[in-house]
This record gives sequence, C-alpha cells and structure tokens, in this order.
Amino acid sequence: MLPIDAAAHSNRWRRRHPSEKAALGFGLTLCAVCLPPWPGAVLVAAATLTVLLGPAGVAPRHLWRAFRIPLGFCVTGAIPLLFQVGGPEGFVTFAPGGPVRAGELLLRTSSASLGVLLFAFTTPVSDVLPRLVRAGVPAPVVDVALVMYRISFLLLDAMSRIRQAQAARLGLTTRAAAWRSLAGLGATAFVRAFDRAQRLQAGLAGRGYDGTLRVLVPEAVVSRRFLAATGALLTGLVAVTLVLERSLP
Amino acid sequence: MHIAEGYLPPLHAAAWGVASAPFVVHGVRALTREVKANPESTLLLGASGAFTFVLSALKIPSVTGSCSHPTGTGLGAILFRPPIMAVLGTITLLFQALLLAHGGLTTLGANVFSMAIAGPWAGFGVYWLLRRFDVPLMVSVFFGAFVADLVTYCVTSVQLALAFPDPSSGFLGALGKFGSIFAVTQIPLAVSEGLLTVLVMRLLVKSSKGELTRLGVLLQGGRKSDTTTEAAVR
Repeated sequence: MLPIDAAAHSNRWRRRHPSEKAALGFGLTLCAVCLPPWPGAVLVAAATLTVLLGPAGVAPRHLWRAFRIPLGFCVTGAIPLLFQVGGPEGFVTFAPGGPVRAGELLLRTSSASLGVLLFAFTTPVSDVLPRLVRAGVPAPVVDVALVMYRISFLLLDAMSRIRQAQAARLGLTTRAAAWRSLAGLGATAFVRAFDRAQRLQAGLAGRGYDGTLRVLVPEAVVSRRFLAATGALLTGLVAVTLVLERSLP
Repeated sequence: MHIAEGYLPPLHAAAWGVASAPFVVHGVRALTREVKANPESTLLLGASGAFTFVLSALKIPSVTGSCSHPTGTGLGAILFRPPIMAVLGTITLLFQALLLAHGGLTTLGANVFSMAIAGPWAGFGVYWLLRRFDVPLMVSVFFGAFVADLVTYCVTSVQLALAFPDPSSGFLGALGKFGSIFAVTQIPLAVSEGLLTVLVMRLLVKSSKGELTRLGVLLQGGRKSDTTTEAAVR
C-alpha cells in the first residue's frame, strides 16, 4: 500500500463521510487557487496545516514526506517565471516582476497541494470509489477503477520484489543490463496484471459474478456540524483575505 | 510531466477540463458498452489500468544520468486504443494525484488532455499509419511511443505558455522557453521510452501472444490487425 493511503486508513477522521472531507479539502484548494496569493494563499496554507496537524492528526513526518514531492514541482515550475525571452536587453534576461510572479505561484501551488493532501491523508481511495456511483459516475467505470486500485498494489509489490531479485543477480550493473531488466520488469507487470485479472475472473465466476462488483462500504452519516464548521472556515478565510488585501501593502 | 496542483489559473484549469470532457465521455461510453457486452472485461480493463499506473512508476535511466518515468501512454494506446486510454489515463491521473501527490485535481483536465488524450491519439495515429504502410511492428511501436511521449510534453508546453505568457515576447516566447526546458530532458526521454516500449513489446510477443491477439495488436499469425482503425473509431 502507498504511504498516503496507508496513513488514511488509520487516520482519526477515517470514519467521517468522504463528502465532509471533500468539502473541506477541496474547498481549501479552491480558495488557494481563486483567492489572491498574498495574503490569501498564505492564510489558506496556515489554516490547512493547522487542520492537518491538529484535528486531523496527521503525523508531521508523513506530511513532509508527501508534501516535498509537490513542493519540488512547485519550485521547479516557478523558476521559468523569473526569466523572459527576447527582450531589448538580451535573448534571455531576468523578467521584470518575475520574482513576484514566481513567489505568488509558489504560494498558490503549495497551498493548493496542502488542501488535496488534507483529503488524501484522511480518506482512503477505497472509501471514495464505491460512493462515486451515487454521484453519477457510471458503475462500469467505478468497477474498473476499483479493480485498478486493488491490482495496482499487488503489482507494485511484485515489481519491487522483482527489482530486488534483478539487482541481486547483477541485472543493474551495466547500462545494457539495466535496460534489459527494465524491459523485463515492464513485460512481467503486463503478464502479471492479466494473470491476476484471469484468476480474479475465475474466482468471481465461481461466486456467481454477474458483472457488478459488490463491495461493503463503511456506514457514515454526513455531519451537519462538520459541514457548518467547514463553511464558516472557508467564509472566514475569504473575508479575512479580502479585508487584509486592502490594508496590507 | 504533470502540471502541479494549483499551477494553472482557475479559468485555464476550467477550460482544459471542458476541452477534455468530450473525449473522456466518449471513452466512458465505449468502456460502458464494452463492459455491458462482456462483463468479464471489467477485470481485464482494470488490469490494463493497473498496468498503466504501475508503468508510470518505472524509472528510466536518462541520457543525462538522472532518472525519469515513462508516460506509458504510447504503449497503452497501442494495446488498449485511445478512447479506452482516455478513461484509464484519467483514473490513473486521479490516483496519482491522490495517492502519490503527483499532478493535481484542479489541473486534472489539463493533465488528462496532454497525457490521456493528445499523447495517446498522436502516438496511436503514427503507429496505425506506419502499420498501414507495412512498416515492421517494432519500428511502428517505437515511433508510436516516441510521438506519444513527445506530443504529451509539447501539449504541456502549450498549456503552460498559454497560462504564463512571456512578459516580453508573449505566448510564442513562453512556448519557446517551456519547450526548450522540456526539450533538454524530454527528447532523450522520448527516445528512451520508445526503446523501452519496443523491448516490452518484444517480450510480450514472445510471452503473451494470446493477450495481444485478444487486444487486436496481433492476428493469429502474428501480423497486424486490420481492425485497429475500426476499434479506435468505435
């Protein structure tokens, strides 16, 4: 299982209804994207971090490990904004206002990433997928996504073990050997995926499979208090941002 | 290359979502039809999607000495056809955003357009065209994967240039800027992905001829399928 999903399964908000957490996490993400980066994204990031590390109980170490990946993309994505091409001063020069634009982008992307991480760290994907049918997603698509989700972990685990075996047999010592091993890994993943699907099919056929994958979904009631608190937090963030935007330089 | 969460302005994010929607809806309808006609194909399609997801976790040795991962869109489009790939790619991108913090939900539409629509359709188009001219399977597979990878990055460059035009030279300057940054790493990576896809396909022809025949990549005698166009249009 991947670290974020593993953490979500043991999170203290696990039993909460996914739509509550979606409203909070995606609401914060939307605020981060739509509000002015200064001071909006800073306020949203602060609020999201407070919720993540406080009420949601996400371990700071887990959060940092997950957050450093999008943070790296945010930083590298902001660097091109520092430069301009084809100005009167030269072919590539520093862009006027580039640092401000790059800084604003960095604030917006990192703040928005935290909002999605809030949802991901508190809601296992297996809790979300079966409920998508009620949201209007066609059942066959949800079934395919469920099978994808289950088989992915098995495949990732198998590939990790195959990789170790290849390394132990000196399969990664030279560039040519590494390419051969990599190709073998890709082909094995394909063969294993289809083998798993055939075995799943045989197993389900024996249990009267009629084309619908029925799974147990943990019962959860939508908390109006949680939704009201979410609404208050989001409204507060918007209001404070608009007030501060006028008063701050 | 996934565009990170929150990277695009809200209007651009929404516009790319709208642009991707018809292709994804078309794919969903094709997938739903397929599953209703053959319920057991749910598992096969799920396995195919899992394969695509796992493929993106493979690390390719890059020419510069660093590593990157294949997009998997070329191989996916050749094996499963572009409409199905649009759906599987969308689910894969969703999983990557939620499980790996790679990509994003507000940028999902833009990422779907480049990685699950433009790349697969371009790669499959080149593959299909070459097969029509009786170019050997492995050569066609190489160019299919190469073009799929390259088109994905070109479309991403266009998306970024539209969102962040250069202060001095506008859209074209920004396109050159983002395109040249990607070109340093992505042209070698596209070649690498093409080569890797050929190696994978060679192994599959040896070990999984039955599956490739079922998917329409090979006929019983190991020749290309003439039904590939029909399947893609469907």
